[in-house]
Amino acid sequence: MTAVAPAAGRRPPIHWRRWIGVSIPYLLLAPGLIWLFVFFIYPSIEMLRISLSSGSLDTGYSLTFSTDAYVTALQKFPHQFGNSILYSALATTFTFLIGFPVAYTVAFKGGRYKNLLLFLVIAPFFTSFLIRTISWKVLLGDEGPLLSFLKHVVHVVPDGFSILGSPVAVVAGLTYNFLPFMILPLYVALEKIDPRLIEASQDLYATNWGAFRRVTLPLALPGVFAGSMLTFIPAMGDYVNATLLGNPQTQMIGNVIQSRFLVLNDYPVAAALSFILMVGILVLVVTYARALGTEQLTG
Amino acid sequence: MSDRVARMTDVLISRRHFIQGTAAAGVTVFLAACSGGASATNTPGPSAAASAAAASAAAASAVPSPSPSPEPATPKVVTGPLKWANWPAYIDLTGQAAANQKYAAGSSPTIVDFEKQYNVQVDYEEKIEENNSFFATIQPQLVTGLPTGWDLIVMTDWMAGRLIGLNWLEKIDQGNVPNCVANLRDPLKGYPWDPNNDYHYPWQSGMTGIGYDSTSLKNAKLPVPTKIADLWTLPSDKVTFLTEARDTFGLGLLKLGLPADSTQTTADNLQAVHDDIAPLVAKGLRFVGNEYLQDFASKKTWAAFVWSGDLANSGSPDQHFVFPEEGNMVWSDNMLIPKGATNKYTAELMMNWVYDPKIAAQIANYVYYVSPVKGVEAIVGQLNASSPIPAEKLPLLFPTADIVAKQHNFESLSSDVEKSLNSLYTDLSGA
Repeated sequence: MTAVAPAAGRRPPIHWRRWIGVSIPYLLLAPGLIWLFVFFIYPSIEMLRISLSSGSLDTGYSLTFSTDAYVTALQKFPHQFGNSILYSALATTFTFLIGFPVAYTVAFKGGRYKNLLLFLVIAPFFTSFLIRTISWKVLLGDEGPLLSFLKHVVHVVPDGFSILGSPVAVVAGLTYNFLPFMILPLYVALEKIDPRLIEASQDLYATNWGAFRRVTLPLALPGVFAGSMLTFIPAMGDYVNATLLGNPQTQMIGNVIQSRFLVLNDYPVAAALSFILMVGILVLVVTYARALGTEQLTG
Repeated sequence: MSDRVARMTDVLISRRHFIQGTAAAGVTVFLAACSGGASATNTPGPSAAASAAAASAAAASAVPSPSPSPEPATPKVVTGPLKWANWPAYIDLTGQAAANQKYAAGSSPTIVDFEKQYNVQVDYEEKIEENNSFFATIQPQLVTGLPTGWDLIVMTDWMAGRLIGLNWLEKIDQGNVPNCVANLRDPLKGYPWDPNNDYHYPWQSGMTGIGYDSTSLKNAKLPVPTKIADLWTLPSDKVTFLTEARDTFGLGLLKLGLPADSTQTTADNLQAVHDDIAPLVAKGLRFVGNEYLQDFASKKTWAAFVWSGDLANSGSPDQHFVFPEEGNMVWSDNMLIPKGATNKYTAELMMNWVYDPKIAAQIANYVYYVSPVKGVEAIVGQLNASSPIPAEKLPLLFPTADIVAKQHNFESLSSDVEKSLNSLYTDLSGA
């Protein structure tokens, strides 16, 4: 390819082909940008407008730039915000602890069964999210497979003991539902690692653990970051697990937004909560990205 | 050629240009949204909140006074398919669908016979789990004046009252529903929110009371509950109340000996119920909808506030329904035709069909709720001549006079009382 360099000191008229050339990237991005605009940017701006409005469903809302909704949202729900952050962080940690060995095994030891193993990871997702969460009510039931074993066979827990309706059940449900979102990015990152790098490190007197810690893990960091984001961010906004598997003390911020919107019809506070959640997650994500080191994230 | 293509695309998007373009577009939209909201115009926004809020201003200005204007008569042409949304376990089923407790096409004799009689298809979906969440699915369309996609829906009386107040229902042509006019039971006539049945006909009526699992209680050596107050003495993490705030707070009022009807209930009374229930929540009480059926099945719940028909038709022999001594709440779920329904005449024919006493008996015999149709009791007796309904379950279908005397109804509350009810309930449920 030869570069076209204009003669020094003189700007030639811009050829119409050059306009096409300049605009082609934008045209290719257009469908994605339009989708983002219609389904994200415009609703976000509407949400911002509603959060600054006052009124009610019967009398209509008018933009008064009142910050009452934000004051209420920040003061009234510290417990639920705390729950969301805690449960999402726990779920992300557990999905990582469970998912990394699975991804590692599939990537390095999978051999010709790689595709089958990956299919088994995604297979539960062919069932609806709600059905899978409801099935956890059966699994964690007081006389379900887990507790009846612990109660009647091994006798380690008393008869009245119950997991459903506790934070444990909510975190378990979150972990289960987001596990593939952690396993697949980790698998992709681990798969790209050249095994010769590990051989090279072992030639340089690294132990197995040393090779893992200094070669495999740093190279897998982009996958760790992607998996954590795909797990943490949706988990923060989740409300299904807290509704079905929890109790009034384990409610998350998603439940609050849902009840403000559906039951109380308090749209300004619901919109303010959504905005605060969005900004909060953004701050956490940027901090996390800085902590991991952004150069390493682009692989 | 490839050289030229390469040159055409060798200009990369600079970050500055991209951010400038996006910022310009965002500011334009913000200004448009602000001015659009201030002038209260209808814009069908892509988010439910956006369209609901923007157009609720328009709807509010168009809220009508309840004066019935003469509507043009519906053309008597049967069109289909009839789109019908209902609650789960609310219509008679046979075969595999009955075993699964879930409707499948062709499994309901009522619907199959209707389809044969009028040569039209019926799309019945068990789409409604809760009044508020179903309302949220049809609200965006109704607010902007678009059809909802449903011809017939079934909503509890207070939600039906709200829909009538918002003028989001089609008026029923009484000439097309002679069975309904003739056979509606008297106790269900004259609701203040629609006294002449212009917009609704009851589908089933039911009661909220106490359900319990006798085996779990026996194993824990606890007495069987007969009063609402007994539920306060059981371990709270084994008890559930209902997400339907009217039912939970209604029974709570009866427990405290306070009146539970729309004219006498005050915000202070509701506050007293809130303070009474709050200690139970701290000890593990939960709020559920129809999920109590699964909780009973998994032995997670030992006793709960339940709706009368559910345990009778879906529960195991261990599970029993009892009418509390202090009284019970009565409610009705009502058939409504949302505005813009494409098959209004067919919907009216269906309403007429299910008010035929033989069909109504068929349905009541399966769902075990109280039928709104006169003359059902005798036919149900005939249907079950070989295996009569057990005496324990008979009052669920045909409540006796002493039970009816203790029934209370939270029909339409004033909006202040309703607001305090909802905010007290959300405070208890933690969300």
